[in-house]
Amino acid sequence: MRKAAYVQYAQAVPLKYAIDSANCIYFQKGKCRACEKVCPTKAVDFTQKPETVELNVGSVVIAAGFKPFDPSRFDSYNYANYKNVITSMEFERMLSASGPSMGHVARPSDHKDPKKIAWFQCVGSRDLNKCDNPYCSAVCCMYAIKEAVIAKEHAGAGGLDCSIFFMDMRTHGKDFEVFYEGAKKQGVRFVRSRVHTITEDKATKDLSVRYVTEDGALAEETFDMIVLSIGLETPPETVELAKKLGLELTSGRFAQTGSFTPVSTSREGVFVCGAFAGPKDIPQSVVEASASAVSAGQALAEARGALTKTKEAVPETDLRGEPPRIGVFVCRCGINIAGVVDVPSVVEHAKTLPGVVFATDNMYSCSQDTQDTMAQIIRDNRLNRVVVAACTPKTHEPLFQETLINAGLNKYLFEMANIRNQDSWVHKENPEAATQKAKDLVRMGITKAALIEPLPEAELDVNQTAMVAGGGISGMSAALALAGQGYETHIVERSDRLGGQALNLHKTWRGEDIQAKLAEMVAAVTKNPKITVHLGTEIAGVDGFVGNFKSALSKGGQTTSLDHGVAVVATGAGELRPSGYAYGKSPRIVTSLELDKKFMANGALVTGLQSAVFIQCVGSREPERPYCSRVCCTHSIESALEIKRRNPDAGVYILYRDIRSYGERETLYRQAREAGVIFIRYSVDRKPVVEAAGDTVGVTVFDPILGRTVQIGADLLCLASAVVPNDNTALARFFKVPVNAQGFFVERHAKLGPSEFATDGVFLCGLAHYPKPIDESIAQGQAAASRAITLLARKKIRMNGQVAKTNPALCSSCGVCVSVCPYKAPSFTTQGPFTGKAEINPVLCKGCGLCVASCRSGAINLKGFDTNQIMAMLEAM
Amino acid sequence: MSEFQPKIVAFLCNWCSYGAADLAGVSRLQYPPNIRVVRIPCTGRLSPKFILSAFRRGADGVWASG
Repeated sequence: MRKAAYVQYAQAVPLKYAIDSANCIYFQKGKCRACEKVCPTKAVDFTQKPETVELNVGSVVIAAGFKPFDPSRFDSYNYANYKNVITSMEFERMLSASGPSMGHVARPSDHKDPKKIAWFQCVGSRDLNKCDNPYCSAVCCMYAIKEAVIAKEHAGAGGLDCSIFFMDMRTHGKDFEVFYEGAKKQGVRFVRSRVHTITEDKATKDLSVRYVTEDGALAEETFDMIVLSIGLETPPETVELAKKLGLELTSGRFAQTGSFTPVSTSREGVFVCGAFAGPKDIPQSVVEASASAVSAGQALAEARGALTKTKEAVPETDLRGEPPRIGVFVCRCGINIAGVVDVPSVVEHAKTLPGVVFATDNMYSCSQDTQDTMAQIIRDNRLNRVVVAACTPKTHEPLFQETLINAGLNKYLFEMANIRNQDSWVHKENPEAATQKAKDLVRMGITKAALIEPLPEAELDVNQTAMVAGGGISGMSAALALAGQGYETHIVERSDRLGGQALNLHKTWRGEDIQAKLAEMVAAVTKNPKITVHLGTEIAGVDGFVGNFKSALSKGGQTTSLDHGVAVVATGAGELRPSGYAYGKSPRIVTSLELDKKFMANGALVTGLQSAVFIQCVGSREPERPYCSRVCCTHSIESALEIKRRNPDAGVYILYRDIRSYGERETLYRQAREAGVIFIRYSVDRKPVVEAAGDTVGVTVFDPILGRTVQIGADLLCLASAVVPNDNTALARFFKVPVNAQGFFVERHAKLGPSEFATDGVFLCGLAHYPKPIDESIAQGQAAASRAITLLARKKIRMNGQVAKTNPALCSSCGVCVSVCPYKAPSFTTQGPFTGKAEINPVLCKGCGLCVASCRSGAINLKGFDTNQIMAMLEAM
Repeated sequence: MSEFQPKIVAFLCNWCSYGAADLAGVSRLQYPPNIRVVRIPCTGRLSPKFILSAFRRGADGVWASG
C-alpha cells in the first residue's frame, strides 16, 4: 500500500513526489500537514489546483497505453479472496529489484519461498464468456515464460517448479521461440490446458486445481502460488477520450488503424502508437512511437524548428594545471550489482586511492534524478575526472558523458568500470571474489582516469540525402517518410519493379486489397520529386561513415556513386521453398504465396474447391530455423476464409502446432471457426503425412482431441512456408552491421532500438529485421525514417575525440602507419616544417590504434587509450 | 595445485569480444572470476609491450581477443 505522498515509480521522470488527495488526511479531514513541516526545501504546496492548459498544435499523438485486466470478476479463480493467487503484474513487481520485496519471490500468505508456481494464460484475453475481450493480448505468453525463467534462476539451487497452463503458446517475436525452447530445457513445464477453478486449502493456503491433460485424463495438482497472466485492455477513460476526439475504435476497443496507415487514426492529424493501437510488446510499441512521430511531423515539416529553443551549452571548465580530482560513483543497479558485490566496501576502497576526492554509491546511476545529483556533486566538489562503476560503457558511456557535459566537464574525462555485465552477473555464486574483482576493476579505472585528458572533437557536415536499400513495402514507406520531411531520398532496388513481397500478396487480415493499396504507394513514390528510384540496381560497395557515406551503385555493369548521409536497410526476405510434404509432386500442393497468386488470378484451381488443407510451420520452428515466421497463421486463416467465401460448403482444414493469431488477429481466428474451418493440432514429432495421388492430395494427421488418425482427401494443400532472409552478407560487410544465425539483421537493441543498427547512420526495417506483416513493415519503415531524421536534422555531427595523433619530432617517416591504416587516415605532411612526417586526419581516424601499436618509433599516441594509460591499468591490477 | 588461482589479463576488443563479455553477463553465463578485462578499441591497439608488461606485473596468463 503506497502512502499519500508518493512517486509513481523509481524511474519516473520527473522523479518528484505528489500528494494523493483521496488518501491524504489533510485533504480528507482538514488536519495534518506533517509533510509540509518536515520538508526541508518547503516544496509542499497545498494550494495547488488542477489547471487547464490550452495548446495550439498541428498534430496529436495518442499514446494512452493500456490497463492490466482486473481478474477480480473471475469468481472461479478467487483472485480477490485467495492471497496466493496474484496477477502477473504483481509477480513482475515482486521480481523487480526496486519492487516491494526487492526482487525476492515470497508467498503473500506466509512470506515463505514458494516451491511450486503455476501461470494461467489468457486471463482476460481470448475470452467472450467471462469478459468482453475477444482479442489475444499478444504479450502474456512471452512474459509468463520470462517470469518463470527469472523466478527459477532467482530460486537457484533451492529449486522452483514452474508450470505454465496455456491454450496456444504464442512466441512469435524475434528470438522468442529460442527463449521458449530454452525455458523447456531449464525445466519450465508447459501444460496445454485451460483450468476452470482454483480451490484453496483453508489451513495451508495452498492452491489446488483440477484440469484435463492433453490425453484427456483428469489431473489434480497443488501449487504454492498461482499467477494469472492478465491481458491488456483499454481503460474506460481512454474509450471516453477516443469518443471526445471522434476516433473510431475496433471491436476490442483499440484505436482503429489501417494496415497501410498503421499509426493513423480515423481522424486526420491524430496519430496513435503503443497498446492503445492494439495489444503489443515493447519493440513494436517503440517502432510505432517512432512511426507516429514521423507521421505527426510530416504535416508540420515546414514549421520544423520554428519554436525550438536551443539548449544553452554549459561552458567547459579549463583544467590546465589542475591536479586530478577524481569522483567515483559505484552503482548498485538495484540488486543486479549489490546483490552479489559488496558495494559499500568497493566505495570504501575507492576512497583510499590516490586522486580520489569523492566516492559514493547510487541505487540506479542511470536514472534522471541520479544524473542531476551527479552533476551537482561534480560541481560542488570541483571534480575533474569521473569514474562510474556500473554496467557497461557500450550502453551507458554516452549517458554519463552527457552528465559530465552538463557539469561543465569535457566528456572524455570519464572512465567506466564494468562491475555488472562482467562481474556481478557472471560470478553470482562467488560474491567474495566478485567483490574483489570489482575493487580491482575500480582501481584500474581510477588509475587510468588520473591520466586521461580533455579531448577536442572534429565537427562534420551531415549530407542531407538518404539512401534506402530495398524497394518493398517497408523501404517505400521509409522513403515516403523521409521525402515527406523534405529530404532527398534514393531507393535502390535490385529487381526491375517496386513492391517487393507485397506483389505476391492478396489481402491483409483486415480484408484490404493489397494490390490496390500497393499501386497507390508505388505511384506516390514515383511521383514524389524528392525520391529517385534506381531499379535493377545493386549496391556494390559502401565507403565512408555516418553523415558522409559514398555508395557504389551497379546497374547493368555500369557503376555510379551516390553520396548520402544515412542509409536505411530494407532488403526484405523471401519464402522458403518447402522440401517435404510432397511439394513439387503435384500442382495442387502450393505455398502460401503461390495460393495468393492463384486467388489474384482467379485460376481454375481456386474456383470450385471442395476441400483444402493448410499445414502450418513448414520450415519454421525447426532446429535449423528456430524462429516463428509470425505471419503464416494469420495468412492461412485469411486464405481459409477466402476459400470459404468462394464456397461456403468447402471442407477447410488447418493443421497447426500453435495458432498464433496475436492481437486483434484473434478475431479472424474466431471468424474462421465460426465459418466452419476445422483446426487440427499436430505435434512436431508427429507431423502430417502427405501423398500426392492423381487429382487429390491425401493428408494423414493424428488428431489429439479425437485420439485417432484422420485422413483427408483434399483438392488443394497449402504449405505455410517459412519466411527466410535474403543473403545479407555483402550488405552487412559494407555497412559493418551484424546478422544473426538465421540471417536476419541484428538491431541496435532488441527492445529499445528495433529500427536502427549499432552502427551510426544505418537504419533497419521490414522483413530483413524479422518476419512481419504489412502493417508492422510500414510502421517500421516509418520508424527507420524517423530515427534517420533525428540524425539528418542535426546537420552537423561531432566525431569521436579518441583518435590517434602523431608526434612529428619522433616520426621516422617509415610509412608503416600509412600502409596499415584501413581508413586511410595517416598521410605524409606535404608542407611546413614537418614535411615528410606522418600526420593523421582526425575525421577519418576510427581510433582503432593499429598504427599506434605498429609504430616502431613510438611516435603515435591514441587519445583515450594511450600507452601510459593502459600500462597504468596493468600496474594497478 | 588445486589452490592455484591464476590471474589472467584479458585484452578485449571493444567491438566484438568486449561486447561478447557483456552478452555473457546478460545471458548470466557463469565463469571463474580470475580475469581482469582491459578494454581496448581494437586488437590492433594491442602492442606486444602490453602483454610483456602484464606478465611482468604478475599475470599468469594473457588473453587477447578480437
